[in-house]
Amino acid sequence: MPRLLVTEKGTVREIVFEGEKTVSRVLMDNGVQAKHPCGGRGTCKKCMMKMEGALSPRTEAERELPCGLRLSCQAKLLGDAQVWVDEETMLHIQSDGVMPAFSLNPVEGKIGSAVDIGTTTVAVRLIDLAAGRVLGTRSMENPQRSIAADVIGRMEAAMAGKSEILERLIRDAVDGMILSMCREQGIPACDVRVITGNTTMLYLYTGKDPVTLSRAPFEADCLFGCREGENIYPPCMSAFVGADITCALLAADVLHTTDTVLLIDVGTNGEIALWKDGKLLVSATAAGPAFEGGGIEMGLGSVKGAIDKVWVEDGKILHTAIGGEKAVGLCGSGIIDAMAAMLETEQVDETGAADEDELYITDRVYLSAQDIRSIQLAKGAIAAGIKTLMDEEGVTAKDIDRMYLAGGFGAHLNLNSAAKIGLIPEELVQKTVVLGNAALSGAHMLLLNRDYGDDAKKLCQLARTVNLGGNPAFTENFMECMLFE
Amino acid sequence: MQILNDISAALQRGKAKDVVALVEQAINEKIPAKDILEQGMLHGMNIIGEKFKNNEVFVPEVLVAARAMNKGTAVLKPYLTAEGVKASGRVCIGTVKGDLHDIGKNLVKMMMEGKGLEVVDLGTDVAPEDFVAAAKEQNCQVICCSALLTTTMSVMGDVVKEAQKQGIRDQVKIMVGGAPVTEAFAQQIGADKYTSDAASAADAAVEFCAQLA
Repeated sequence: MPRLLVTEKGTVREIVFEGEKTVSRVLMDNGVQAKHPCGGRGTCKKCMMKMEGALSPRTEAERELPCGLRLSCQAKLLGDAQVWVDEETMLHIQSDGVMPAFSLNPVEGKIGSAVDIGTTTVAVRLIDLAAGRVLGTRSMENPQRSIAADVIGRMEAAMAGKSEILERLIRDAVDGMILSMCREQGIPACDVRVITGNTTMLYLYTGKDPVTLSRAPFEADCLFGCREGENIYPPCMSAFVGADITCALLAADVLHTTDTVLLIDVGTNGEIALWKDGKLLVSATAAGPAFEGGGIEMGLGSVKGAIDKVWVEDGKILHTAIGGEKAVGLCGSGIIDAMAAMLETEQVDETGAADEDELYITDRVYLSAQDIRSIQLAKGAIAAGIKTLMDEEGVTAKDIDRMYLAGGFGAHLNLNSAAKIGLIPEELVQKTVVLGNAALSGAHMLLLNRDYGDDAKKLCQLARTVNLGGNPAFTENFMECMLFE
Repeated sequence: MQILNDISAALQRGKAKDVVALVEQAINEKIPAKDILEQGMLHGMNIIGEKFKNNEVFVPEVLVAARAMNKGTAVLKPYLTAEGVKASGRVCIGTVKGDLHDIGKNLVKMMMEGKGLEVVDLGTDVAPEDFVAAAKEQNCQVICCSALLTTTMSVMGDVVKEAQKQGIRDQVKIMVGGAPVTEAFAQQIGADKYTSDAASAADAAVEFCAQLA
């Protein structure tokens, strides 16, 4: 009889089962607690977990899930398999990312680190270079947030004499994470690091004066693509489109495809890249922090009690909260779902006008009329950025073969909700691939195959930056994309 | 007239399709284009401007209303031209050299158009000589300069100097605005007016145009 290995809270148990059953059925029959608020219909995604082995193909409900993750209510066991049911494992997997298959040709050294410095989060992956094996992953909030929350604030702080403090904060954070993973593995030191991030983050990490990034014509005096001692910095494309996007494009493997591909990374800044016929257009748009819960009255990060999914059933608004706890607020994916639900129930019209000042999802969690306006601005900026890039290249959503979503935001996003609120074109829902932390994956690839260094350079040579600020075509698209229609 | 009230109301809500349909209906009912513009659309935009000034509505509401107004104006334009309706003044506006921020500038433009002014949009990264050349060539009564950065706001002083140099300083009013700009700064560089928000900027421009008419 086939066996199912179940890893829960660090312990592994073996379950023997008969017949073709869903993973959740087998788990429940054997007393493993699983969450199914939607009753196993595949709508709430709460039973998502890491799975490997003989499993049925992905169902429609699982199509958007990151690689390696399935819904236990949908996936059927066809033979021996392994599942990881605890939440920690699941979040860990999501901070990882999808990579194309490649052969091993690592940079010199035994142990390497891939580092992605985001404005909000810093992630590090420790890698055994000879074996191509991941030894550990860490992430933490970027400690520079104590100086300023956004990129502009941090550039201003650096120019006002806080450059050294900013550099020290981030270097200590990165060193600390690498050191703790090395200790855990009994490794003396890490030999080489690939450090990626947006252009400003790399400036601040290396203690460079970001003045050229702060004012027109925004021509960065350094775009990296260099090595300093043990640190390798992949090349940036422009002042606005950094090495993180170069790395994400490596992870999406665009250079080796003849398809027309769109890649978007939604954070406080939304970066957008369009690859067509060997040409690459890139741009960045200021979306603001709304999709990370910032500036939303009841907005939260991805913490326990944050509503992460909202949907409408028989006219009623239903939800789930992280950790199965009583809902106390909304995280990014919940905000987009909630917005879509308000449009579906017609409590908000196409202009963004709300029926009430507070639109309730539970008896205490609501979206305010003001929140809806913030969401409207943020989604308008991203959607207008996508449209401007497509117009520039003379393509429409129909011509796009694939859309890659990079970044933590994309990993949790319900694509149908994103299309419903007009964040992404409806036509692209079926063509979306979720990459997870693609910047980190790209850095990982640079460590393990030195040929990717040339690919990164080539991508940057091919890239043409489309400025959206002060671009009348973008302004016009922005006004149109503000609407919910 | 009820239909003009309806146009105003639809415009305030940003209902572009309704505005276009109502404007077409009003034209068919032989209501003068001037009245449709002033008592319908500009009336609605005025209310949005006031609410914006009082923090009752914010940027998104203004943007959707302005979008509705643009769509309505496109329908109305040939009729306005045929009736010989002229704008109450002409303004040139731009974000100064070295600065690419245009959201504030665009808002001011929308508010000014909402007051019935004709606005020449010079875009972003505009050199002082280009402001002055536009004002001269297109007979603008007002030059509006926007800057969002402390590093670029000094260019506004250069615009004032350029206007003096080219001998048009007494024919134009120079207005300045943007996040780092203050009343004291405006006085220091010899500008005529600083306003803290887009609706007040539009009011000030209307006043200047009336004075210089």
